[in-house]
Amino acid sequence: MNRRAELLWFWLLAGPALAGFAFFSLWPMLDSLWLSFCQYDVVNAPRFIGLRNYVYLLKSDPAFWASVKVTLVFTAVQLPLSLAAALGVALLLNQPVRGRGFWRAVYFLPSILPQAASVAVFVYIFQSDGGLLNRLLALGGVAGPAWVNSPTWALPVVIVISLWGFGYPMVIFLGGLQNVPRELYEAAHIDGADAWARFRHITLPQISPVIFFNLVMGVIGALKVFDLAYAFGAAQGLIPGGPARATLFYGLNLYQQAFTYFHMGLASAMAWLLFAVILLIIWFNFRLGRRWVHYGD
Amino acid sequence: MLGATGITPMPPRYRESLFWLALAAIAVMGFWWAGHSREPRSTPNHKVITWIVFISPLRDYYEQEVAEFERQHPGVEVRIIWVPGSEYHMKFKTLAAAGQTPDLFYSGDVWASYLRPFTGDLTPFVRRDAAEIGLDDYFPEIRAAMQHEGHYFVVPETVNVALLYFNRGLFRAAGVPEPTASWTWDDLVQAGQKLTRPATATDPGVWGCSRMEGWWGEWLTYVRQAGGTVFSPDGRRCVLDSPAAITGLRFYLEKSSKFHISAPGGFEPLNGFVNQRVAMQVVGHVSFWLNYNQMPGLDWDVQLLPAGPASRTGGEVAIAGYSLSRTCQHPEEAWALMKYMTRPAAIEEVVRRGSISVRRSIAEAQIRNPHRTGNPRNLAAAYEQLKYSLPIPRHPNYIEIMLQVVQPEVDRMVLGEITPEEAGHRAAAAVNDYLATFAVAGP
Repeated sequence: MNRRAELLWFWLLAGPALAGFAFFSLWPMLDSLWLSFCQYDVVNAPRFIGLRNYVYLLKSDPAFWASVKVTLVFTAVQLPLSLAAALGVALLLNQPVRGRGFWRAVYFLPSILPQAASVAVFVYIFQSDGGLLNRLLALGGVAGPAWVNSPTWALPVVIVISLWGFGYPMVIFLGGLQNVPRELYEAAHIDGADAWARFRHITLPQISPVIFFNLVMGVIGALKVFDLAYAFGAAQGLIPGGPARATLFYGLNLYQQAFTYFHMGLASAMAWLLFAVILLIIWFNFRLGRRWVHYGD
Repeated sequence: MLGATGITPMPPRYRESLFWLALAAIAVMGFWWAGHSREPRSTPNHKVITWIVFISPLRDYYEQEVAEFERQHPGVEVRIIWVPGSEYHMKFKTLAAAGQTPDLFYSGDVWASYLRPFTGDLTPFVRRDAAEIGLDDYFPEIRAAMQHEGHYFVVPETVNVALLYFNRGLFRAAGVPEPTASWTWDDLVQAGQKLTRPATATDPGVWGCSRMEGWWGEWLTYVRQAGGTVFSPDGRRCVLDSPAAITGLRFYLEKSSKFHISAPGGFEPLNGFVNQRVAMQVVGHVSFWLNYNQMPGLDWDVQLLPAGPASRTGGEVAIAGYSLSRTCQHPEEAWALMKYMTRPAAIEEVVRRGSISVRRSIAEAQIRNPHRTGNPRNLAAAYEQLKYSLPIPRHPNYIEIMLQVVQPEVDRMVLGEITPEEAGHRAAAAVNDYLATFAVAGP
């Protein structure tokens, strides 16, 4: 095939995908970059205001830093917990136990439940007045706090709810575990390595690419949390992000600015800041990953 | 070379080209079909009025009314866009952004400021047809709420007024006299303390008074009754840090922290008034009356809001009704529909379905009706309360300011994290920062 024909085929095959990306992703992205320097309420034409949106966000907006803090705390606490839970359950489900397929399905099931449904159930459990948990605590003579209405407890409750759905990283871990060569374990066993040593020196290095993948995806997912936070507010009739901005995740704040208050310029600026932060964290992850991720080379 | 059938087989490169051509044609058809408008075609020479409405129990009623309107106005076609309440404003603004602002939309004094950029001035219509629409029949407070800076923007269908709701059964059981029209905050506290019954292992207990958390409904009432307000008269500054405003915030907090007549922050019983776990509630909503009357054993009534240290005035009056798009192509026809939907007979029907009247004549007939059953018995108080009620401040960003900027500080105060003074000062500072940055002005 000559070069011209090759080019023709390239554009014929990759063209539709590239056109789709350009029209439906790149163009809106660049447009939102432009809008981030504008005041735009959807109805009136965008008005260029320079860096005012960014300055307002970083210096004046009372909700911005609160939402950054909530999101970072969530990421820092929830991500290690969910990865540990997913890995732990994957290790158990990788054992040759009876009904293994059934248990795998059981542990994966919560992940396919709609987030809003599981949030509604959990909010009932954590309800301050008459909730299941506080009723149980009352049996032991303990007065439980206002879990979902307290700024102190609301975020931990959201973290607990989010841990419910660790099915996807669990399945990926399981795939990684099944690819670890059995001979390595047999050799280590013959050499006298105990279970912990085998896990520490064989399993972890062997599944490090999978851990890295789950970590990167987890960071991105945690920084973009929206549905969980939205459903949490809606389930208890709170203003989204309440009480007292305790569950005002960055994604929720962005959504509210864009689609509740129609500050599209401000929301675009928030989106670009989030993009920059995610990029930076991922870059750091990749830099650090070189030290601990083993690709078998 | 001829094939066995005598037809020359297509060369492979043509076959390939034909395949791609067919694929491209399918893709084009798909795009065309996806983008193809599914709006029903209007009858030629008909004037189409679009009306965006919340999905509500009134849906069947509205559809019947529209059908009757169309029958009476041949040549006018009304297209109702039904939207779930939670998505109403997003749908509305999306339509506006696409250049398809509905001709008629739900509005009211809460939303009138927010929707001002889209709202047409109804003043010429209202003045021209004042007698026909019975402008004088609307309560003066309602007429005031229909206007902004002397111009009419809303024609109301329903109204809510903040009231003191009380459970007659719980008052009787506690031997406490029912609230009167001369009650003050002190009376509310004293009665609340007598009505409060602590929870035990077998009894969930009763709180004397509920406290509405999470929005401005109740605390703003106290702020205004204490002589405070949210914005300075020119609307350019937040004055929630004034001593009067802080007095109102303090009373809101001390209902639980000092007087112990309300549940501590975050522990408000779910649907406490309906479940008979709170004896009184301040503010409430008239749209719940039908539900209250369906609750077995719930004997309730209403009274004027207790007066604050500065005034009895301060509770909120909120109208809801119709506004006209400023880009409406057929304003006369849209105005005709508005008049039809707010005529006395229509208001009577809306009242019958659970509301109070925006029209005086219907209110008076409702109060005098000897066959009226169900609560509230003291219906006159609901209309009397109008005299002591105020609409919310008319600021285009009012809702955002109150919910996003002020409310978190009030939440913290309720949960004991900050004092009323700190809440007032922090809220005022944050709002002033917001106002300065966005340079949004106007009362």
